[in-house]
Amino acid sequence: MKKWFVKRNVVALLTLMLCLCLAGCVGNQETVLTIGVYSGSYWNTPNGNCYQILDDVITLFEESHPGVKVEYVSGIPANDYSEWLAEQIMKGTEPDLYFVLPEDFDLLVSSGALAQLDEWIAGDPAFDTSAYYEPCLRSGQSKGRQYALPHESVPTIMFVNKTLLEANGIDMPDNSWTWEDFYNICERITNVSLHQYGVYGYSWLDAMYSNGASLFSEDGRSCYLAEENVLQAIQFTKRLGELNGGYSVTVRDFDVGRVAFRPLLYSEYRAYQPYPWRVKKYSAFQWDCVSMPAGPSGSNISELHTMMLGISSRTRHEELAWELCKLLSIDENVQRELYTHSHGISPLPAVAEDPELLLQIHHDIPEEIGFSPDMIHRIMSNAVVAPRFDAYSQAMIMVESAIQEAAGNQLGQSGMLIAQSEINIFLNKS
Amino acid sequence: MKTERNLTSIAAAMFALNFSILAFYSLICVTTTFRICDTLGAHDFLTSVRQIPRYPWQMPVQTLSLFALLCTVSFFKIFRPIEHFPLRVVICVTEIALCAGIIVSLNFYYSGVALLVLADLVHYLRSNRMRLCFILILSLMFAFGRYEIVEQFTRCIAFSAYLSYYNPIAQSCFTSLESLMVCLNILLFVLYMILLFTGQKEENARIRKLNEQLNQANDQLRDYAVNMERMTQMRERNRLAREIHDTLGHTLTGIIMGADAGLALFDVAPEESKKRIQVVAQSARDGLTDVRRSIKALRPDALEHSSLAQALEGLVENFRLTTSAQIAYYQEAGELNLDVDEEDALYRVVQEGLTNAVRHGRADRISIRVTRTGDLVTVSIRDNGIGCGTLVEGFGLRHMRERLDMLGGTLSYGNLEQGAQDGYTGFFITVGLPIRNRKGE
Repeated sequence: MKKWFVKRNVVALLTLMLCLCLAGCVGNQETVLTIGVYSGSYWNTPNGNCYQILDDVITLFEESHPGVKVEYVSGIPANDYSEWLAEQIMKGTEPDLYFVLPEDFDLLVSSGALAQLDEWIAGDPAFDTSAYYEPCLRSGQSKGRQYALPHESVPTIMFVNKTLLEANGIDMPDNSWTWEDFYNICERITNVSLHQYGVYGYSWLDAMYSNGASLFSEDGRSCYLAEENVLQAIQFTKRLGELNGGYSVTVRDFDVGRVAFRPLLYSEYRAYQPYPWRVKKYSAFQWDCVSMPAGPSGSNISELHTMMLGISSRTRHEELAWELCKLLSIDENVQRELYTHSHGISPLPAVAEDPELLLQIHHDIPEEIGFSPDMIHRIMSNAVVAPRFDAYSQAMIMVESAIQEAAGNQLGQSGMLIAQSEINIFLNKS
Repeated sequence: MKTERNLTSIAAAMFALNFSILAFYSLICVTTTFRICDTLGAHDFLTSVRQIPRYPWQMPVQTLSLFALLCTVSFFKIFRPIEHFPLRVVICVTEIALCAGIIVSLNFYYSGVALLVLADLVHYLRSNRMRLCFILILSLMFAFGRYEIVEQFTRCIAFSAYLSYYNPIAQSCFTSLESLMVCLNILLFVLYMILLFTGQKEENARIRKLNEQLNQANDQLRDYAVNMERMTQMRERNRLAREIHDTLGHTLTGIIMGADAGLALFDVAPEESKKRIQVVAQSARDGLTDVRRSIKALRPDALEHSSLAQALEGLVENFRLTTSAQIAYYQEAGELNLDVDEEDALYRVVQEGLTNAVRHGRADRISIRVTRTGDLVTVSIRDNGIGCGTLVEGFGLRHMRERLDMLGGTLSYGNLEQGAQDGYTGFFITVGLPIRNRKGE
């Protein structure tokens, strides 16, 4: 009698639980899609409402996908975004779709946090990879597979202190200038007694990219430190440094107008060129931008930084995340809106090279247009995407110390060859 | 019994210890995850392990619920013993699967739970081959279910990566605690095995001793039976001797004395002699009656009170009632006025035939036919039983033959051919008995 009673109770309890579960499933019909986003600008430039584009896109998306609600956590500064995202991954609460900072891409891919997009790309006839600049798309690839889609790109360009150039009777260089032009101008400008210098912050990596060289192979298995065009770049930056007579130029020297050139991100140019921002920064002198000087075996190209969007490998709404990801990445209207709120370049040639849009951007700039559609095309299509792999940062430290050592003991190419083989051994071990 | 109790307490201790170990690993992983996040070390941690961790709740929930299931299965088989062999194997396989699940859901940090299951199953299984098979599987699981070994094939975060978050003192505390518990588990396992096998050895010795005692008792019983038979024979012989002495001896003595007296008086007084011889004749007749009575005392009871036909019917009816076999009885010999020894022989034939058909042939349909042609009575018994593999004349058949030989009868028996139309495919016995038919003499 008692047994029967207990049995009946258990059955009743199970039924109740089943009903509750069912009710929960049926009642919770609204799908919530989360997206991870940072506040402010990743490119270190001031922008007004950083969530404006996202809010607009979400409204658009929710209208076209009834029953879906897109949510995001606001107020995570771009500086803390990497840590925030890592925390969410640790806790298993990462968003379905999130922005991927260029420096985090490799970590997120190798740890398996990002979903592969190749199948989605192949299965979506509306998605055309040729709509992107190739280097932008390549930023989201690892070992030949696509893990993220580009949202916004920023190349490195050369800031020019026009006032200083004019004072020394030098013409503004054009977008097809070379290392020699660059060196000559620097040589003419540099006057240690007047505290006047050629360039600040031009690294051998900048020189290497514009000399058509790459330091590592795509798979991160070999290092090309002792290649001729890499050595040329190292040699060239060394020559430039020697002009300063042992003085190391500071950022303050550039800010007060005593330095002619400084490589900066395109976003700074976009942010500070128009009024009223131009008053706020670099107001001591007139300035403009040109592309990076071309090396003897390269062209006027530079490294490209790309903000990307990736889908979490653990999301339960992969299709919705893909739809939203597409909307943020390849939709021309959304990309056009990007230009009013952010300072990058669209990864879509159709938007980035639209003369009307360029005219609109340069509307507030009193000078002549610095970047024509052709120029943008050249920079974007040929930009370098530095290969990233697990051991990248460690290998870079080894490369830097090898270059410093070589500079110290004048070993030249033979020293570099030794260093290169050491790094290769390290790369193949890791 | 005491060993059994000790084994149960060691098993309980192992279960408790394993629960603590599983809880220890899960707790460290979960709390460390949240502490890493709280101290802004998530990015560095991810960079160092290059692997997304599983959901924090997943390890404790999966591991502990699988362990709870394992405990349930293990205790279930103690409280509800199962005799059905395949079901026992299913239970063992379930336990092994749960064990594998626990090891995997704990990221291979700990494989000692295989020892727990091993101890549990070795005790539970009696079949040696099965036991060996499971011991092999679980030993492999214990040996190879280690993170260090499967590291290459699995995308799990090493336990040491979690521990590296703590300062060296805390780290060494945790590793000491970990190895202490793991060692204790192995120790308990070894202890369990030692107790189990010494216990089994004692049990085997006890069984062997009991077996010997049983064999002795059997021998004694056999001797006793032989003695008994001998004594019965003796008693029967004595009784027969006494009977012969009392009846035949007495009568013959009287006859001899009467005859002698008759001879002596034959010439002197023939009349007297005639009287004496008449007395002798009477005395001989009385003696014969006495002999008959003695023989009657050895007859079947049924024949004592009724005719052969009635006795056979009664026998058949009795068999029907006691064995539920279908018996078809055809008496086609008309009235049987047979001598007592002939009646006895036929009655015993039918009785033995029925008994054999049911007992050895396991038949459920038997046919008995009694026919008579002239002076020959034929009894034919057939059944649908399994027949007889090799025909060896047993005690019953030999007796039957001896009885019939004395009366000049014949006996034949054997297996019936398969596919007989009337369905009797078992064994047959046919007896032919020439009758003297002196009734009414």
